[in-house]
Amino acid sequence: MDELTSVYIQECREQLAEMEAGLLRLEQMPDDTDNLNAIFRAAHTIKGGAGVIECAYIEHFTHRVENLLDALRNGDLAVSGELANILLACCDHMGSLVDVLAAQQAEPDAALSERGDALTERLKQILDNADTPAGASLTVADDDDASVESTGGGVVSNDAWHVSVRFGPNVMRGGTDPLSFIRFLGGLGEIIGIETIADALPEAAEMDPESCYLGFEIRLQTKAGKADIERVFDFVSDECDLRILPPQSKLDDYLRLIAELPEDTLRLGEILVRCGALTQAEVDRGLLAQQNAAEAAPEEAPPLGEILIDSKVVHKEVIDAAVTRQSQVTEKKAREAQLVRVHADKLDSLIDLIGELVIAGASANLLAARSRNGDLIEATSVLSRLVENIRDSALQLRMVQIGDTFNRFHRVVRDVAKDLGKEIELSISGADTELDKSVVEKIGDPLMHLVRNSLDHGIEPVETRLACGKPACGRVSLNAFHDSGSIVIEVSDDGGGLNREKIRAKAVERELIQPTDALSDSEIINLIFEPGFSTADQVSKLSGRGVGMDVVRRNIQALRGTVDVASTEGVGSTFTIRLPLTLAIIDGFLVGIGKASYVIPLDSVVECIEHRDLGGERNFLNLRGEALPFIRLRELFEIDGPAPARESIVVVQFAGQRAGIVVDQLMGEFQTVIKPLGRLFANLRGISGSTILGSGDVALILDVAALVRIVRQAEESRLLPPSSINTPTNIQIASPTER
Amino acid sequence: MSTIMLVDDSTTILLSISSILSKAGYSVEKAPNAEEALKKFNNGTKIDLLITDLNMPGMNGIELIKEVRKLPACKFMPILFLTTESQQARKAEAKAAGASGWIVKPATADELLNTIKLVLR
Repeated sequence: MDELTSVYIQECREQLAEMEAGLLRLEQMPDDTDNLNAIFRAAHTIKGGAGVIECAYIEHFTHRVENLLDALRNGDLAVSGELANILLACCDHMGSLVDVLAAQQAEPDAALSERGDALTERLKQILDNADTPAGASLTVADDDDASVESTGGGVVSNDAWHVSVRFGPNVMRGGTDPLSFIRFLGGLGEIIGIETIADALPEAAEMDPESCYLGFEIRLQTKAGKADIERVFDFVSDECDLRILPPQSKLDDYLRLIAELPEDTLRLGEILVRCGALTQAEVDRGLLAQQNAAEAAPEEAPPLGEILIDSKVVHKEVIDAAVTRQSQVTEKKAREAQLVRVHADKLDSLIDLIGELVIAGASANLLAARSRNGDLIEATSVLSRLVENIRDSALQLRMVQIGDTFNRFHRVVRDVAKDLGKEIELSISGADTELDKSVVEKIGDPLMHLVRNSLDHGIEPVETRLACGKPACGRVSLNAFHDSGSIVIEVSDDGGGLNREKIRAKAVERELIQPTDALSDSEIINLIFEPGFSTADQVSKLSGRGVGMDVVRRNIQALRGTVDVASTEGVGSTFTIRLPLTLAIIDGFLVGIGKASYVIPLDSVVECIEHRDLGGERNFLNLRGEALPFIRLRELFEIDGPAPARESIVVVQFAGQRAGIVVDQLMGEFQTVIKPLGRLFANLRGISGSTILGSGDVALILDVAALVRIVRQAEESRLLPPSSINTPTNIQIASPTER
Repeated sequence: MSTIMLVDDSTTILLSISSILSKAGYSVEKAPNAEEALKKFNNGTKIDLLITDLNMPGMNGIELIKEVRKLPACKFMPILFLTTESQQARKAEAKAAGASGWIVKPATADELLNTIKLVLR
């Protein structure tokens, strides 16, 4: 596929998204002209591009759609729900056509064409029913046929065209050069005679150097037709006086020309003779004849020019409307237009390279430190600071706003709500929150599932809502924000909430838990993420195939993220997705236990404390009056060797919960390129990846989320009655490394 | 060789026209919107011809033409605007704003280059 086509496809997708968003707004605000214009502009851009890349099927279809939008814009049609539906369907169809183009098929297949034909038929019906005001067409009168009728007089023996032109005073101010027209005219054939008419030139003192006072009489030998010659002067047609006589014109035509031109008759005759249009004898004879005729019958028909100009008068209302239309500004689009398009692959390879650079930099740092050469250490530290900056900027390049992903859901909510016969509105906040492009791409599906789930199971039918004293219109909200190195995405609804009893009963039925298990409230509702769990009594077409939530959690875990649900019965539910900001490079905090090194993501580190006596049975610490649970990595990872007398505790935080991680040694900040672990290590607890140190050694990256959870659960299981310890571990701990 | 400033919010149009122009030996300055184009003019970039779309988000083509015409260096610079068959009404408006002429989209390479030749000094 050539570059232009792929650029066009990309552009189409953006414009279609724009158009769809506009159409959804249209239903709510039918009078918003800004919006209507944006929709029209999107369709127009798609059509224009299709013309350029010569994709007829997109061009034709979009042209129909554009016609309808134009009628809407002009107020010939009123916005209705049905109309919006059809336009949305058209929008979808255009998307399918773009897919056809992207798949490099020559034509859409039969089924698609049929759908297109059905849609165009509907569009046509709607347009036909609308009362298009008569005479709204703005076509310029076809003046080719209005050639001057000639009555008698001898044919002038000359096979050249005669062009006589008087430029208006504003021609040069419009950026046109009268000479360039003459030059271009010469390109059509051969100019065999030309006379410059400077009669209108005023006294030097009164002359405005920016105005044009010139006219020309031109003899042109060419095979081109009248229309071609006229086209040369098209750009100044409203500012110049142009008369064209074809070859073999009758003398009368010339005489009429002379009479109509502003200059003195005798002088014009002279000029025509000079440029070779007429002989002196012809002029004399003609003028004499005309004089006689004029005496006999004064006042002839009005000059042709006036008629033509009259017919080109443009409706004032149309211009006024156009001006208002154009002055409306949508800031967002202007901002978007300043983007540079870069192929994602290029960015990825840049990030890879920077990853290598970070590792190489760490190794240079290490060598410099060993050499004890002060200058070298200083130089490498400057270097590593710059590498850090480059890393941040490069990662920033891949950051995109989540808004576009969110906005897709307007359509989903609208369609699904209609299908279900519910009233639901979608509210979006934090749309400008940025996250890595690769994460954005993968989060779409899980989000879609959660939103559909909220629409289908969350929001109750209207009657139930009214009976509960809630507003009839349900609300689903999407929210995004940054929180200590993660991005948090919330999908919440004000529906019925999760029914604990039902969940518990179902979990027991599916043998996910034992009837005797004591589970905390949050453990019960998070059971919905277990494989094979579904509370919907009926499998609906939208969600509830029983695989949903399980798949959602797996997808999110694959992104090193977590998903949780909080719910209050009768009030609503909130699904919270936490994702790392980037998948490639992080700032790490290096710690050591025995000979092994571990990296804790710096974003989750709160503080480091040193503590001598950590004895005692309870793994709790009094940190400035607060109880801080901690975990010994030496124990968790079963590392041999005695602990040193002075251990350090790294206080970490995840999702609002703090925990201490006890380590031997603190080794400081360290830029970490995340290397994923192989499948073999999929069941590791508390480890999320690995990285390579400057020395070439491997360090494991700690999974803070899982560690915090382990700490918390270790404590809970100690406090809860013994029966609960039998709970299968796969429910208790949902870490990214657990399956 | 002359430098042509091309302004259009459609990347497809920008790319296709600029490739025709560069092949014909013109050097091309591209701008995705009127604001960007105006910035380049204000920075003193020497432009021999401006070709602009009319219907753009933000500042539209007609406003751009008016603004550019106000610049002393561009008082007599030819300005062409891109239009379609269906937008006859806008021609008059754009002309009044100071445009020299127009190009009807989609134009063949010949039509485009001929029109440019017509207005370029």
